[in-house]
Order: sequence, then structure tokens, then C-alpha cells
Amino acid sequence: MTATTETPAVSPSEGREIVFDVNHITLRFGGVTSINDVSLRMYRDEILAVIGPNGAGKTSLFNSLTGVYTPQEGSITLAGRTGDAPQTVIGKKTHVINHMGVARTFQNIRLFPALTALENVKVGIETRMKAGPIASMLGLPNQRREERESTQRAYDLLKLVGLVNRANNLAGSLAYGEQRRLEIARALGTDPGVILLDEPAAGTNPVEKRDLADLIRLINRELGISVLLIEHDMKLVMSVADRLIVLNFGSKIAEGLPEEIQRNPAVIAAYLGTSAEEAEAQAEAQPELELIADETEGMTSLAESTEPDGTSFDPTTSTEEESR
Amino acid sequence: MSAATTDTPTPSQGPTPYAIKPPSGVVHNPHVRRFVACLALGFVLALMIGEQEGTQQDFGLAFREAVALPRILIFLGIGILVFLAITFWPRIEHFLIRPGIRPLFVGLLSVAVSQTLLKWSDSSVVGNGKFGTLAGKAADTPQLAPFARAYFTTGVAWAALIVVVVVAAYAIFTGQRAVAWVGAGLAVVVGLWAFFSQGRVVSLLQTPDHSTGALVALLGYLAIAAACAACALRRTETADTKGFIDRVFAWRPGMPLAAVGIVVGLVSLGVATWFSPQNEDLTLVDTASFFSGHGLAPLSQAYLSWLGYLLFVVAAVLAVLGCLRRDTRIAWATAVVGIVGAVLTLMTLYSTSSLGAKSGFDGASGAWQNLGGGGWFAAAAFTILAGAGYIVLSVAHDVKVGKLSDLGSDIVGQARQVPGMGKALVLLVVAAALFYPPTATEFWQKVIVSEIGIYVLLAIGLNVVVGWAGLLDLGFIAFYAIGSYTTAYLVGALPITPPEWLRLPPLAAIPFAIVICLIAGVALGFPTLRLRGDYLAIVTLGFGEIIRLVAINNPANFTNGPRGAFGIPQPSIHLGPLHIDWGSSSLQYWYLLLVLIGVTVLLFNRLEQSRLGRAWAAIREDEVAAQASGVNTVRVKLLAFAIGASTSGVAGVFFASQIGYINPDNFILNNSILVVAYVVFGGMGSLPGAMAGAAVLTWLPEFLKDQVPAEDRQMWIGAVILLMMIFRPQGLIPAKRRAAELHGLDDQPREETRAVPAGEGMGGGR
Repeated sequence: MTATTETPAVSPSEGREIVFDVNHITLRFGGVTSINDVSLRMYRDEILAVIGPNGAGKTSLFNSLTGVYTPQEGSITLAGRTGDAPQTVIGKKTHVINHMGVARTFQNIRLFPALTALENVKVGIETRMKAGPIASMLGLPNQRREERESTQRAYDLLKLVGLVNRANNLAGSLAYGEQRRLEIARALGTDPGVILLDEPAAGTNPVEKRDLADLIRLINRELGISVLLIEHDMKLVMSVADRLIVLNFGSKIAEGLPEEIQRNPAVIAAYLGTSAEEAEAQAEAQPELELIADETEGMTSLAESTEPDGTSFDPTTSTEEESR
Repeated sequence: MSAATTDTPTPSQGPTPYAIKPPSGVVHNPHVRRFVACLALGFVLALMIGEQEGTQQDFGLAFREAVALPRILIFLGIGILVFLAITFWPRIEHFLIRPGIRPLFVGLLSVAVSQTLLKWSDSSVVGNGKFGTLAGKAADTPQLAPFARAYFTTGVAWAALIVVVVVAAYAIFTGQRAVAWVGAGLAVVVGLWAFFSQGRVVSLLQTPDHSTGALVALLGYLAIAAACAACALRRTETADTKGFIDRVFAWRPGMPLAAVGIVVGLVSLGVATWFSPQNEDLTLVDTASFFSGHGLAPLSQAYLSWLGYLLFVVAAVLAVLGCLRRDTRIAWATAVVGIVGAVLTLMTLYSTSSLGAKSGFDGASGAWQNLGGGGWFAAAAFTILAGAGYIVLSVAHDVKVGKLSDLGSDIVGQARQVPGMGKALVLLVVAAALFYPPTATEFWQKVIVSEIGIYVLLAIGLNVVVGWAGLLDLGFIAFYAIGSYTTAYLVGALPITPPEWLRLPPLAAIPFAIVICLIAGVALGFPTLRLRGDYLAIVTLGFGEIIRLVAINNPANFTNGPRGAFGIPQPSIHLGPLHIDWGSSSLQYWYLLLVLIGVTVLLFNRLEQSRLGRAWAAIREDEVAAQASGVNTVRVKLLAFAIGASTSGVAGVFFASQIGYINPDNFILNNSILVVAYVVFGGMGSLPGAMAGAAVLTWLPEFLKDQVPAEDRQMWIGAVILLMMIFRPQGLIPAKRRAAELHGLDDQPREETRAVPAGEGMGGGR
């Protein structure tokens, strides 16, 4: 808890537009406290990563931000797109928050498996469109125009995530990594100001991970969309994130730049399950990145164990794979 | 045999009292046990067929009925066959995967069914009209042409069937192409023999005929011929019937339609009845001479004597040429000639039938009356030929805009998809829906309207709620009731009458019924939004019962209680020069219903492919993900309820004004459940599926009326539904979007691995 600070640790953030302003939220399920008094700020155009061991409350945080869960205490305000006035998120329905400019993907992929990849993206795009059932039934001109636009845009987005040749395949028939990218395309279809990615790299191979990192950077830099990222793959997080927030047991234990977090004793302790002092001693003995990376291997193994060839996901072998 | 399995080294040979002894002796021989079980199966089957009700004095009746008759031998024979099939399955299986085996089975089954279950004549002279009865009388009728009498001589028809099947099976099992061609020829000859023999009988009986037996037999024999052809033309040693058929059909889009059109046209111009006042049964030639000199309109007279044949020949030649050369100009010409032919046919039918009545021919009773099947078949043939032209045009258009890869000059390699096949099937169904009902008997016309048609409309509506949005609604019939009672109120058939300015003819009640059902749909939908699956089903079930009980309890003397409303006028249209009054003829109502169904299908088909249709699929698949993608689930669900309900309301208006009286008993829970069953049976989420499901399951009970004892009917229907759910859970015509869910995704790779030439896999959408 030592590193918890109210004001962001990064100085350049001063004066920047705030996307999410989360103040002291607490989320309980019966007697279990999933999120305990967490505050954070997310700034426009940054890539903010949320990390932490399993059960730390990362996905609960996402669900609170998107209106799936409603925290019992605290406040969340959102200025979804550039220039929006901050509005509260608490008590709003998920689709309303989505319309305010927040798109997300899910940790366990939640596509519409019986729709084609193209249709999946179109579902997202078309929630911004107007044509009603009567216009659709009669095929009125504005509906036809919208239909053409949404198809065109869906193809553009599929091209962006590299799935254009899978456009007419059923989503359920796509490979795991493809499904993850399709989820991102569907989220982008809703024209968001901020996108929440929940473990986008889980279960993907090293090549896909590298592509994903490029994609995240592209979304952030080219499309100007702020990215909030939950990810266990430390290499990916460290390479793309501007800033990190670390959760453990529902509380924020650290916040800062990637290199700061790597050296933070509380974080190392959280990952090793030891006290902060012991961790500090160990941290001096070993390079930090590797330490955390080793730990991550164990953490992500659950997601990866479905793959027959587990070795290709070993961080130590991943460099060899990439160098090929 | 048993020794082999028990020879495993088990040391527990000690004298423990409960040691499992290796089975031995005759009783434990697996073959013997299986044989006994199979004989028992035959015995049980025998018990299930025939008289079952014993009397208080004689409880053993059913048993003796089953056992004492020689019939028992047939069933024991079945048992032995089952035993042989199980025992020698590995060897049989080897043969069952050969090309042509499936059509052979289909053909055999069709002919057998036609000669046991179906009617071969409607005439009251031949009793129940089934093959056995007809054959018995026909064989003793010296006026009958010798070839026909020969066919109906005892045993000949069956012997012919057996010979054809044996030849075909021999060809298929041994793979001898020459024998296969002989079998094909034999099958065609016997099929035509059966068909024309029945034709002779009909013309001798001189009554209008609607029987299907001979037609089904002909189709069955053609299927056997196709089986032989598949065997002779095979490229591989294993069966791929669908692949073979697809290759043939994909060869030239529209060709299947052209072929069907030509066959139907030949039947209609050659043998079918055109005009049949009481004691006449006139083919086209007869009709022409019958009317010559009676002042028939010149065009119609020309049609009867030569123009009809000419138009047909021109249309047929153009259709075949257009399909073969895939020439759009010829295709246009085909379509035009076909439509002109159909219109002229209908005009001729009208003028002959009205002139017949005017000239006072014996039994002629007015315009559109006394017509046989011939004219309608001709109209259907012309429509289908025009459809062949349309298919050529539409495929050419698809190729031009890049939706289809260009078809090669020869048989398209291993084509899996037949271009234009979906449209062709739709055209066939439309042609049948337009021109079949007038040729059907009064009884079937009534069934087509008040059972099949209405339930098809209801199934289309429920498919929106259950199939597309995935909300199980067991109270759907309530909206049907609301539509009916709305009509009754607006026409003033209820105790409380509307103000004078609101009194409407029945058809004008449709918009009101739609609006009121929309509101009722939202009223049901709103409180149930949070419910899913079973819970939703129970609430909607309660809603259906509430509406029915409200109707019975007669609040404020509005619904007139259990007596219901009567005296609802029949629909009529009076718009400027247009005056249509629907009387008591079912046929008229059928065309009104056809318009309603057609409009609904067109609108809903668009809806399915629209953003709302996709949003429905999205909430059905994953509600949380849909919300996170910005779908307003409340709105989308309410729209599903409302749109489904309003369709049901339209059906209610039609029902009330067609039947003239309604009461709460028309809207019982059973009907709601039946509609759900129709949708599931046809294929949830598939518009053609829901329609087909409703059509088949409403047709089946009426068909079974003639075939099985009344008390057994529900059992047979239950068996059909059960078999369907076991062997084809996705329904008759599964929805593309649903098939994946039920099939798992195992089927997908086949789609993916289909060779797509580079750059053609992804055009601009569909």
C-alpha cells in the first residue's frame, strides 16, 4: 500500500484531459470485497495497463467501469470522447455507457458465434445507426445507405485487425487468436473514445502477441483511442503501456511508469506472495523483468494449458521463436 | 464366440459362491439371444398393429388378433430380417455406401407408399380409392385398355416393382454400368406404365380426379431411374448422392426448373383434365372440340386448339436454350413467353368455365368452376418456365457484379453450391401455392386455408420471437385471440359495439389489430424483460391463459363469455372499380391468405438481414456481449415481442372473418404449444423452415385421417416429431445462423476448405 497515491505519479499528466475519473470505489459481493477503495485516473490518448495476480479485481474494475456491476461506494465519471463533458457512470446501463464512448472486449471471448465475422462487427457498428424496423422492412433509401456504410466500415475494421479473408466465416469457427482480434474489431465498430481490453493476449502465440502489440499501438496512435488494458503477459504490457496500475486483493498497490513498477517492492511481493521486505532483498539479487515474467508464466498457464504445445508460450523460448 | 472374451487371465477361479461364471450354453450365445430379441420385437410390433380394444368379456382380443392371424408371420419375418441386418451389418454397410443407394431407397419407399397408403382415384365407384381396391376392380373391367388392365392384374404391379428394384440393386452392388442403364430404362418404363394405366382408369370413370397415388409412383420410379443413372455415371466407388445431384444441377442454373416445367406442361397438355362438368372429363383436345362452335372468345379458342401447344413448345425450347447457353436475351424471351402463356391460360380457363355455365352444359356451374387440374398445371408450367428464364438472368447478374465466380463452360468441378437453387425452390413453391389449391378437393382446400395457411402465418410470427430473438413464448396464441376479438369488436359482433364512425369491414380491422397487438406485445414484454428461458416460458404461458380466461369471464360484457362472437361478416374489398367479396369458398380465402403471407415473408426477410435482425441474433447468442457492443436489449426484445404479436394479430383478423364466429375455445394453450412445435420442427430462426414446419405438421394429421385409426393419430404425429428431434434436431430447413450452434462447429472446415479461386472468396458482402 506504500505506493498508493492520490495524484498520478507521472508528472506530464498534469493538465491532460481525464477520461475515467474513479474515486474510492468499493464493490462487494455479499461478504466478499472485490474492489476495495480504488481510485485511479485515466488520461486521454494514453495506454494504461492494469496488472495484478489472479483475483486481484481487474475484471471487476472493468465491469464497474462498463456498468455490468455497480459499486456500492465511490464515484466514476467518464468523458468518453474528446471534448465530452464528464458524466457519472454509476447506475447507467451497459449499452448507455457504450454509447458514451466506452468499448470493451472480454477475458473469456464473448462473440456471437453463429454470426459471421462481418456480422459480428456490423452489430457493433449498427448500434450507432438510426434505421428502424419499418425502414428495414420496406428497404427505404436511408436504411440501404446505412447498410452499405456499415458493411464498408466492417470490412475496413476487419482489414485493420487482419481478418478480412475471414469475413464470411462464422465467428465460432475462427481460431482463438482470430476471435480475440474480431472482438477488438467489434469493439472498434462502436466508434469508442476509449477501449477496454481484457487480456487480449491470453492464449495467443508469440507471433500473434507481437502483432497484437502493434495493433494496440495503432489503435492508440492512429485512431486516437485511449486504451485501458488488462494483461498478464509482462513483455506485452511493458512494451505498449504508457502507465501501469497494480491491483492486489481488490486494492491498488502501485501506479507508475513501467520501469518504476518493475522495481516496486510491493508489486514484486504481490506476485511472489511474500512480504515486501523479502521481495526487496530478492529483487536486488535478480533482474526484475525476468522475475515477474517467470511469475507470469505460472499465472497465464491456465489460459494457455488448453493449447497442446505449451512450450511455445514459455517466455524463455518465445525469443527464439520470434528470432526465426 | 464367448470363450474369446472370457479367456483373459483372471485368476479368480476359486469356489467363491458369487464368482462370475463365463456364460455358456445355448441360452448365453449372443447370436441366439439376439435372435430371440429380434423375434420378440416382431411379436411386439404385431401386437401394436390392429384391433387393440378388448371388451369387458374378452380381454384376450388384442392378443389373439395379433397372434392368431397369419399376419404374425410377416412380423416374425421382420424380426428375422432385423436379426440378419444386425448380424451381418459390417458386410451390408459396405454396400450401403455405394452410389445410387439413397435414391433407390427413396424410390422404393415412394412406390410402396403409393401402392399401400395413397389414393389412386377419388371416384366413389372404387370405394376408398386405394391401389388395392382400384386394382381389384380395374382388372375385371373389359373396357379398360389392355396395357392398363395388365398393370392392375393382381400382383403385377408389385412384381414389376420388385423386378425393377432387384435390377437396380444388382447394378448398384456389382457396379455394372450396362445393367444400371437397363435398370434406369426399366424404371422409367414401369413408372410411365403405372401413370398412364391410372390415366386410363380416370378417363373411364369420368369424374374429376385429385388422387396422388399414380404421380407418387411415377416419381418413385423416376428416383429409381436416377439411382441407376447415378450408379452408371459415378466417378467414385462411394456414394455422394448430394454431390452428384449438385453437380448435375449446378451444370446449368435454371435447368432443373426448365425440366420440371416441361414435365408439368406435358402432363397438363397431354393427359390432364381441363374441363369437367358432371359427366365429362375432358382433356385439352376434348375441350377444344367440346367448345368449338359455341362462341368462345377467339383467343381462347385459339389457345385450346393450337396456341396453347405453340406457346408451350416455344417457352420450353427457349427455356432449355436459355439455360444451356446462359444467354440473357433468350432468358428474357423465356420469361416473357412464360408469363404471357400463364396469363392466356388463366384467361382461357375463365372464358371456358363461364361459357360452359352460360351455355347450360350439364353440371357446369359458373366461372372458375368445373375446372380440372389441366389448366392450372399449364399455368404452373408456364410460370415455372418463366422462372427458369429468371434464374438464368439472376445468376448472370450475380456473375456480373462479382457475387459468383464465373461458371465454367462444362460441369463445374466439384461444385457444392448450386447457383440460383434457393431461388428456384422458392419459385417452385410459389407456383405450387398459386396453382395447386384449385385442383385439390374441397376437403383439402379447407385444410389448406384454415389449418396450413393460418398456422404458417402464426409460425412466421412466432419465429421472430422464438427463433430470431431466442425468447421462448408459450402464450403466443393470446395475440391471435386479441386480433380476433379486435375484429369482432370493430365489426360490431360483440355485445358492446363500437361508435358508428369506428365500425369497419373486417379487412380494415387489420391495422387496428396490428397496433393493438403491438401494444399487447410490449405489455407482455416489458415485465418479462429480465426473464430468460424457462422462466419466460412460464410467464408467457400464464399470459396466454389470462387472455383466454378474460375472454371467458366476460368483463364488462365485452367478450360475450364462452359463447363468443358470431356474425362476423366475411371480408370484402370495395375500392373504386374494384369489388371483391369473399364468400364461402375456401379457395378465395386461400388467395387472400397468400397475399398476407407473401407480404409478411417479404418484409420479414428484409428484417432478418437488417440491423435489427442481427441485434436479435446478438442478444440470443450473448446478451452481455450485445449490451457491451451498445445494443439496447430492452428495445430490441420489445420489438421482437411486438412484431411477432402483430403478425399473430393479422392471422386473428383473417381467422375471425373467415370463420365468422369465435369463442375462447379457439385459443387454448394447446394451440400455443403446437405453434412452438411447428417452429422447432421446421427449424428455429429460419423463415422457410418455420413455414415448412407449420405446413408439414398441419398437413400430417389430415393426411393420417385416411390412414390410421383416429385414436392413434396423435401417436403417429408424436412419433414423427420424436424421430425428427433425434435425427435432425436443427429442423427441416435449418437456419444458417442456428445450424452452427446445434451441429457444433465440426462442419465448418468443409466450408472453409472448399477451394476458392484466388480473389473470389470475398466479394462485397452477399
